[in-house]
Amino acid sequence: MQINTDDAILSIHLLVVPHLQASRARLFKEYKEVQREKVADPDIQLVCDDTNIFKWTALIKGPSETPYEGGIFQLAFAVPEQYPLQPPQVRFLTKIFHPNVHFKTGEICLDILKTAWSPAWTLQSVCRAIIALMAHPEADSPLNCDSGNLLRSGDLRGYQSMARMYTKLAAMPKKG
Amino acid sequence: MLCEILQVITRESLLVAQREDLRRVMEMLNLSEQHARTLLIYHRWDVEKVFAVFVEKGKDKLFGEAGVTAKSCKIKHAPAAMTCEVCMEDIPKHKATTMDCGHCFCNNCWTEHFVVKINEGKSRRITCMAYKCTAICDEAIVRNLVSARDPDLAERFERFLLESYIEDNQRVKWCPSVPHCGNAIRVEDEKLCEVECTCGVQFCFSCSSEAHSPCSCLMWELWVKKCRDESETVNWITVNTKSCPKCYKSVEKNGGCNLVSCICGQSFCWLCGGATGREHTWTSIAGHSCGRFKEDQEKQAERAKRDLNRYMHYHNRYKAHTDSFKLESKLKETIESQILMLEGKESELKDFSWLTNGLNRLFRSRRVLSYSYPFAFYMFGEDLFGDEMTPVEREMKQNLFEDQQQQLEENVEKLSKALEEKYDGLEDDNLKQSRMQLINLSVITDRLCKSMYECIENDLLGSLKLATHNIAAYKSKGVERASELLVRATKGNNSISCLQTSSSISATGGTVEVGRSSSSSLNFENGCPSRKRSKREAFGNVLFDLNLPAEVIDKS
Repeated sequence: MQINTDDAILSIHLLVVPHLQASRARLFKEYKEVQREKVADPDIQLVCDDTNIFKWTALIKGPSETPYEGGIFQLAFAVPEQYPLQPPQVRFLTKIFHPNVHFKTGEICLDILKTAWSPAWTLQSVCRAIIALMAHPEADSPLNCDSGNLLRSGDLRGYQSMARMYTKLAAMPKKG
Repeated sequence: MLCEILQVITRESLLVAQREDLRRVMEMLNLSEQHARTLLIYHRWDVEKVFAVFVEKGKDKLFGEAGVTAKSCKIKHAPAAMTCEVCMEDIPKHKATTMDCGHCFCNNCWTEHFVVKINEGKSRRITCMAYKCTAICDEAIVRNLVSARDPDLAERFERFLLESYIEDNQRVKWCPSVPHCGNAIRVEDEKLCEVECTCGVQFCFSCSSEAHSPCSCLMWELWVKKCRDESETVNWITVNTKSCPKCYKSVEKNGGCNLVSCICGQSFCWLCGGATGREHTWTSIAGHSCGRFKEDQEKQAERAKRDLNRYMHYHNRYKAHTDSFKLESKLKETIESQILMLEGKESELKDFSWLTNGLNRLFRSRRVLSYSYPFAFYMFGEDLFGDEMTPVEREMKQNLFEDQQQQLEENVEKLSKALEEKYDGLEDDNLKQSRMQLINLSVITDRLCKSMYECIENDLLGSLKLATHNIAAYKSKGVERASELLVRATKGNNSISCLQTSSSISATGGTVEVGRSSSSSLNFENGCPSRKRSKREAFGNVLFDLNLPAEVIDKS
């Protein structure tokens, strides 16, 4: 009995190891890097799940001079086994009104998360890219059509006030 | 000249066919083979296009778009160790690889990257891992690294590169034979045509299904679907049967009054389908009156019946001619044996090609005739061109077409009958007479086929405003048959191909290349095609040629 289980464990190791080990090792490096950089980038707070290194969450600050300013947005990362050769799946957990973010699911339309992914990106740099996307919405490929249409029809004020409202409602600590 | 236009690419000649195009680009632009390949894959193996882009936009643009990086001199002698940006490990120099674009990562990460991309089916354009770098990775590096990890995958990579010539190429299509004969066909210019592979399968080059002119590809697709569909059967059932109210079997009325009884014993009213008692007169059923007609239902049923009749009409004729075609295929042997007999006899006539030619003409026109029925079904139906013609116009056109069809049909049947005659028992005079008759009939059917195609092209399809339907042109000598690619090119390229094979073997590490690719290269290096093929070829030429030109007949 004893021997059998050992065998099983051994074979599992042999089978799975190449990918998992590579992605695990890389994520571990990123984890250490994040601990070191925490102070350096106050806008991003990346946290790894206690029990699963393939699940991460991030808190990012809405960029200044945008309707998202003052909000704190939570992102969920699901990292695939073939990371970093395949991109992580990222979505907003906090509700946000933005043309390239699905209003219900929080899914993000960003080229580097799809076709333009390069293994040289890290979770940290993905966060930075998302912050940049918040500051520069791409109205021509909208996941949130209402928001996209406001921008495309030139109603900047409408877009901003909607976005600001949702930031207040969903991304700011409730006062009193 | 014709042979030059249509060529078969077999497994053996694939490499040669590809290399011809590669060499042109390599020589013209002074490139290595892999860069030429990258360029050609990007431009879908259109050599002219590559040259055109080169002339119009210049070398840098051409290379940049396709992801070719001309070798940068390897000055960058990095320090003995570097950090791989992907796994973030410190890697000694000898375990890392720098691509032509200058980006350097560790071998492990490169390999993983290649494995992922090959498995994703992107072997033909594996880009560098660096962000926004569009450079295509060096084939040799991919080969080396992947074969060290997974030899089978390396072989697949090799095959994908090779088959790119077929799959990413507008001028080349796989032969659709089942089981697959392994061949592909290359055309020169005209992509709208019907071709015959050396395996004997005839197919339409634009949709890869069986040769179907004068139907357009769309019509044929719809027709095949319709025939396969049970919808017409269902239609028939709704029109002609009612289901028994007790056992729900479909019941067809075979005569008598409106009181019908099912085999289960239940009787019901044919008009309304409701269960009834058994007592009845000719005009009424006891205890039952279903009253008025429901007009809608009646109309619907009528319409369904009409559609069904229409379809049955065309389908029956289509089927009849396809069946005749199959039966007539047996004539082949009879005629051949007759020719043998005749040739053995002392006779004035020495040449009996008119018999085979007549038979070929019959096959050819029989096909045309059978496909002309689905054509007519769609041409004069409402599905495709309902909005394009007024009923009057439609009727005129239909008459025009049907006259031609009828004439063709008559002559095809005459031809068929003439061919069933026993020629070997005839005296010389009678034989000569039969010969003249057969030749005449052949010429007439050929002319009729041609004019039917012309009518379709000019008067029927040509006048449509909205839809465009293209059909392959009629060729009186039959579907164009592909010729074997290349004894010529094999000879010319022998030196190069030898070189290539040896280099590719060394690149894969020697241990790997056992499978098909090496054996195939060996095959054509020797310049001898496989035995199977040469046999088949002999069969095609000596015994029977479906494609003998009609001009031969005309002359005689």
